[in-house]
Amino acid sequence: MLKVKRDKLPQVLSVWSEEAVVYTPQEEDGVSTFRPWTGQAEVTFKPGSTVLPPKELFFPRTEEMYRYRVEGQAAFLEELSLPQQKCVLVGVRSCDARSLLLLDDVFLTKGYVDEFYRRRRENTLVVALACREALDTCFCTSLGVDPARAEGVDIQAWEKDDGYLLQATSERGKALLDKVGTLLTEVSEEPPAGARPSLEVDPEGVTEKLQRMFEHPFWDDLWHKCVGCAACTFLCPTCHCFDIQSENRGNEGFKFRCWDSCMFAEYTRMAGGHNPRPTRKERVRNRILHKLRYFPERYGKLGCVGCGRCLERCPVHMDITKIIQAIKEVALDG
Amino acid sequence: MNKITERMRERAQELLAKGEVEWVIGWEKGSLWYHSSPAFVRRPEEVERLIWDDFCANNLAKYLLDFTQLEGKVALFVKGCDSKGINRLLQDQQIEREKVYIIGITCPGVRDARKARGKGPEALETIDLEERCTFCTRPEPVIFDEIINTGEKLPGRGEKEPRDRFTEVERLLALSPDERYEFWAKQYERCLRCYACRNVCPACNCRECIFDRSQSGWCSKRIVKTENEFYGLTRALHVAGRCIECGECERVCPVGIPIMSLHRKIIKDLNELFGPYEAGLDTETPPPLGTYRTEDPDYFV
Repeated sequence: MLKVKRDKLPQVLSVWSEEAVVYTPQEEDGVSTFRPWTGQAEVTFKPGSTVLPPKELFFPRTEEMYRYRVEGQAAFLEELSLPQQKCVLVGVRSCDARSLLLLDDVFLTKGYVDEFYRRRRENTLVVALACREALDTCFCTSLGVDPARAEGVDIQAWEKDDGYLLQATSERGKALLDKVGTLLTEVSEEPPAGARPSLEVDPEGVTEKLQRMFEHPFWDDLWHKCVGCAACTFLCPTCHCFDIQSENRGNEGFKFRCWDSCMFAEYTRMAGGHNPRPTRKERVRNRILHKLRYFPERYGKLGCVGCGRCLERCPVHMDITKIIQAIKEVALDG
Repeated sequence: MNKITERMRERAQELLAKGEVEWVIGWEKGSLWYHSSPAFVRRPEEVERLIWDDFCANNLAKYLLDFTQLEGKVALFVKGCDSKGINRLLQDQQIEREKVYIIGITCPGVRDARKARGKGPEALETIDLEERCTFCTRPEPVIFDEIINTGEKLPGRGEKEPRDRFTEVERLLALSPDERYEFWAKQYERCLRCYACRNVCPACNCRECIFDRSQSGWCSKRIVKTENEFYGLTRALHVAGRCIECGECERVCPVGIPIMSLHRKIIKDLNELFGPYEAGLDTETPPPLGTYRTEDPDYFV
């Protein structure tokens, strides 16, 4: 196994920075997120996931799609160049690594490829970091995520007291490690076991149960405490809904897309004013059904990765583990 | 079980069993020891869910807007700050007094759940109070039908005097305009436009908010700094003179924007222009921007 000493890590990042923007978890005003590494000598990885997930590096909260202008009777479209920037994302936890695979399903499969997303995904190498310590809001293992070994990444790293063990898990990851070969040493250490979260829930059978619960009175009580904000969906690493609108200035304008949330009243409001999800009851039901029923029906996997961001930052601590448990306890006729 | 919890369950049980109210709104325990969450109780046998502890931070007043169509009454528990939220809704003519049964709690203060993360219950005493509690001068509710007062002191604050709530505003005022803009720009760059601040605010009681009508053209749905700033400023000005300083907006912000500093700047200005005023203390005194007096300053007209 290869190892980099703790004090050599900035040099590794520096080599990678020659050809790519290197992102690391960084904290500002108490909010951690992935930001470009700009040569800081101190690179630390706090336990658990960042407050903001890495999804916006692939699916930005707002992005322009194309521009247009009108001159007399003629209209002109201007394509925007696709993202070119090479990136290396360092310190992604297993839960967030799984979330990228789920976003891949949404943006790259079933007959439509989202070019903006695909380019960013292809241009980015992911270095995962195993969890030595779980936060009390983590429940990744309940979703089958292994906190010690991430899926679909290019390099897996494990933190030790004096440095990081590294293992390439893709060809591109191997090439990335080869670039910094002189800074690494071959060691016979074993990767440590992952931290086991204390929060647990067994989602087995929840999808099938929900298939019979759309009209169940269960939903009548669940929504009351929800305040209808989008903190859960915007912090969720797998929520991916967006809206497309345009902005005009005189004879020109642009189309953009931006994050949207099924928690918003406007989300399903139609021309003419009808809203098939008129209250928070239907909106909360949709969020839960999307994660635990529709996503598995379409892609064969649950749409939750157990990162715990929603239950931690929800203004009222709506807790998806409790909701899953409650769904399982609902008695259905027949 | 603490005395407040005991009393809460007792009263909720009686009110529901006698059919005096249809719902009781209180707090219940979440999965984590430092998470307490709003609870909605409809049947007397469910009152065991209700609790009071150091993390019952949520202001429950706003939920009354969900029950305006109800035939019967709703009972809810309020701390000192929450009770001003009830006055806010009454004065804004959003709810009817006779349809609400208010059980006040003389509040011993609540702690900051985010600071408890990763700690065990044995660390309780070391966890900071919610910031608003350090300013609090009114732990006893200003409106209620009955009150629960156990005589407990604010944890952590003890007998200490409340802090001056304008200290942070003054720090920001001492910055140059450019530095100050930089400060706020950085804060609102982070804003996700999740609208948690608006949705928990008792003063944000418009039937429909302009920010839920993105096609209106007032503010773009683009989640970018300038539009986010426009949102933050619009909301701050819309609650000017009506903000009851419960601090819920700032507490719930998932990205930690110090929203109350913006609101307190306006409160400070209003106090200086129109004389001291604290919103939500009663329903009779009109908010400074909701009335006109001949002695109002008019140098800007």
